[in-house]
Amino acid sequence: MIFYRPNNLKNLFELLENSNATNYFLAGGTDINLQTKNIPKNVNIFYISHLNVLRNITEINGHISIGSTATFSDILHSDYLAKHLPFFQNSLKFFASPIIQNLATIGGNIVNGSPTNDVSPLLLILDAKLELISKNNSRIIPFNSFYRGYKEFDLQKNELVKAILIPKNAENNLETFYQKVGARNSLTISKITVAGLKFIENNRIKKIKIAVGSVNEYPRRLVNLENYLITKRINEIKKDELTKIIAVEITPISDFRSDQNYRFVVCLNLIEKFLGINF
Amino acid sequence: MKKAVKKFDARPKLNGSWKFLDDYSYENMIFGQLFYSTCHHGIIKNIIFPKNFDLNEFTIISAKNILGKNIVPEPVCDQPFMAEKEVMHFGQIILGIAHSDKKTLRDFVENIKVKYEKLSAIIDPKECLDNERNHFGKEILINHSNNEKNTGNYHKNIYYTQHQEQAYLEPQGAIAIYDETKKTMFVRVTAQCPFFVKSGVETIMGNAINEAIIETSEGIGGAFGGKEDFPNLLAGITSLLAYKSGKPVKIVLTRNDDIQITTKRHPSRIEIETWTNPLTQKIEKCNIDYRLDAGAFQTLSPVVMARGVLHVGGSYAIPNIKIRGRLFKSNTPSNGAFRGFGVPQALAAMEAHIDQIAIDLKIDPYLFRKVNLFKIGDEFPTTQKITENNLIDCLERVIKNSNYLSKKKEFAEWNKDNSNKKGIGISVGFHGGGFTGNGEKVLKSELKIIIEKNANVKIFVANTDMGQGAHTTLSQMFYETINHPKEKCRVQLPNTSKTPNSGPTVASRTIYIIGNLLQKLAREIQKKLNFENLESYVATHQNEFPREFRKVYIPDKSIVFDENNYVGMAYKDYSWAACVNEIYFHADTYKLEIIKSWNVFDIGKVVNQKIAEGQAEGGILQALAYANSEFFYKKKFGRVRNFTDYTLPTTLDVPEIDVEFIHTDNKIAKGLGEIPMDFPAPAVRNAFLNATGIFVDEYPLTPENIFNIIRSKNEN
Repeated sequence: MIFYRPNNLKNLFELLENSNATNYFLAGGTDINLQTKNIPKNVNIFYISHLNVLRNITEINGHISIGSTATFSDILHSDYLAKHLPFFQNSLKFFASPIIQNLATIGGNIVNGSPTNDVSPLLLILDAKLELISKNNSRIIPFNSFYRGYKEFDLQKNELVKAILIPKNAENNLETFYQKVGARNSLTISKITVAGLKFIENNRIKKIKIAVGSVNEYPRRLVNLENYLITKRINEIKKDELTKIIAVEITPISDFRSDQNYRFVVCLNLIEKFLGINF
Repeated sequence: MKKAVKKFDARPKLNGSWKFLDDYSYENMIFGQLFYSTCHHGIIKNIIFPKNFDLNEFTIISAKNILGKNIVPEPVCDQPFMAEKEVMHFGQIILGIAHSDKKTLRDFVENIKVKYEKLSAIIDPKECLDNERNHFGKEILINHSNNEKNTGNYHKNIYYTQHQEQAYLEPQGAIAIYDETKKTMFVRVTAQCPFFVKSGVETIMGNAINEAIIETSEGIGGAFGGKEDFPNLLAGITSLLAYKSGKPVKIVLTRNDDIQITTKRHPSRIEIETWTNPLTQKIEKCNIDYRLDAGAFQTLSPVVMARGVLHVGGSYAIPNIKIRGRLFKSNTPSNGAFRGFGVPQALAAMEAHIDQIAIDLKIDPYLFRKVNLFKIGDEFPTTQKITENNLIDCLERVIKNSNYLSKKKEFAEWNKDNSNKKGIGISVGFHGGGFTGNGEKVLKSELKIIIEKNANVKIFVANTDMGQGAHTTLSQMFYETINHPKEKCRVQLPNTSKTPNSGPTVASRTIYIIGNLLQKLAREIQKKLNFENLESYVATHQNEFPREFRKVYIPDKSIVFDENNYVGMAYKDYSWAACVNEIYFHADTYKLEIIKSWNVFDIGKVVNQKIAEGQAEGGILQALAYANSEFFYKKKFGRVRNFTDYTLPTTLDVPEIDVEFIHTDNKIAKGLGEIPMDFPAPAVRNAFLNATGIFVDEYPLTPENIFNIIRSKNEN
């Protein structure tokens, strides 16, 4: 294993090109300690946390662009986010612990690919996009299409996440919801996370987005549920229909931290809470 | 309130200069690691060392290399230092291995393979405790009963508690240095009981050494009982490695190893059946079956059980009571000491049972307790007479502080219209100070002080400061007694060759036994030398100094305890306490949130208000988490392996905690170390019962457990 600390992006891509091992990017590194045992021998690690060009939080073309190595502290202290995306910012207030917030990066959280990561359900409902770069290329993809399976991503070899783009008005005039259920109030791994946005006019659902974490191989939008809900009146929603759709959309498991049945029922409860229905 | 006296080690701990075990280094020192069984029960067939390593670089020891006896000295000597042929539990040590390079050592140890012939194993605490065939053999019976008839209302239940992890900040560690010329083994260790460690090292080394000298590290980063007996084993193996390699050896456990192989709180199964008189609302008769899962070996578990059965009758005057205590065997690491020592389990059962009876009798749990609580003249199950009403005072005070009665009414109204629920619950408890029964008589604790020519006072006690502030409080008890300047009085680092054996740092005895003894000695010296001011006395009598004074603890003659029949005075002084917890139950996530905990203690005289409050708050929090979030084992998924999955509360999980000490005009400072862990947990469960009407017979009340209880209730 070789550990690289490139001077700049250009240098990073040169080093990547000359590396003939499996390449890993390290940004933050607060979870890596737990993974050291599983890292294969023939890997090269490219540290990128110090590359400030990847760390900026700025406004570009109607989007807030959050650099992939922006730390959670950067996010919590950003005036742009406070102004345009306060729901997103506030939802991450109790992310991990202050010490981890200072080091952990949003890009790391996404690319670490944990099904339980805190930030993905938020990005999913906010229609975030990812800006990906490699030596000679750059592309923008919807965040929604990034995960393809458990720790599988739409990422080419030697390609990295440059920034996360969230439409500036993504939260405007919408009712927001974010609830993470963990074993404690902070420094905890999510058992269920539900994030939602909705717009209701004349008691009718005009706009709805729901994403969940920790109950599938990767965080995802509940598209079938959204399709069922859109244009419905709140009092038209049926408990059995809702349950049936969710039962297909999520696949919770039992593990040391929680139980399948508990995860299912609480996920359902939180979605009902978000919708404002009380069966 | 007196002005708070700061801990003498607060500043160096904050600036990082205070040395914990891993901060020590010695010339030529190498590193050691324990290789332990990953099989729950089996016969070792073959040990295969990894290739690509030069075995000559390593020092490797097994049971065969032990020079003395392969038995860890404990109340029951049944645990070997290292397994011989058969491993009895996951985590049982098979080899000690040392090497000069930590990483090489770790790679080597991780790649050792053992072939086992697997044997049947029990790792599930309930499976262990439900089956009488797993009983170790001996039992304790307390019979305070002269009425064999069962009359009145009958109430019965079985209560379970799980393991609890001490979660001290500093993992276990030891450094051993062999002196070939003197034939001594010096061991620096993070431990509660230096003289226990001495005995452990001398047992494993046998005649190879003349003496083991044990000194603690400057800082001990927490212990909570977890560093009472495991360090003996660890220091023993470290010593043998040092002897064989001829070099100083340091072993510091990784957090994961520490969690997996060291002692925990005993899981319990306590069955209580009670008969009450519905007219008087008094408990007439009670039978208790108290069982602890000791793990694979008994070690010190009989002592935990003794304290457990002496507290499991609760704080109630019960004219006819029978208590049976037994230890059960499982294929898990030996369970050991943990703050409370059998009492948290006892009260988990009894205090929940009391609420169940109150509900059966349709009476408020507060009023039911008031009727049945100990009053002057009542008797413990051992026939010891109650001599004070301080427990009732604690209860009345905490009821008042918490506004229990009006809150209860208010919550009942609120709950009618809400799916979330509010609840409030009570628990009470007591803890006997010092060793059980004749323990203090046998110990004959001794302490020593030296007054130097500059009037500095050096205090020598074997009791350690593991962060609880004992050395600050002990020195305060000396200098305040004779009005000596604070900075001229200091407890010395415990070292078994310099410090007399003032006994282990356990059993809420450090301030209660040693502190009060030190205070007596201070008064005696003042009387003997006849001074008003020690400094000026020393200045005018320079030829008398340095001068040494010693004192041995002799328990009161009135303390007589029959250890065969469990009759007599089990403890001379009891601390009392009462708790009210308020909770909020979230119906959507099944989360039980503790809103506030009110606690009132009688610990007698409070020596250092700040330290006492700290002890109380820390213990209360540990107790609340025991009831609410911490779990160590889950069926099908096994035991916890790291802190990621062990749900210790963070600062954001800490409810408001209210602490008050009453009857502080007492001359005696009674035990405080353990009682905060004993009694607040059942009030969480009782508050949940009050909120939801759902009776839970098992800790912890995690959302998943509550969910499963509600679900199975609905299915029925």
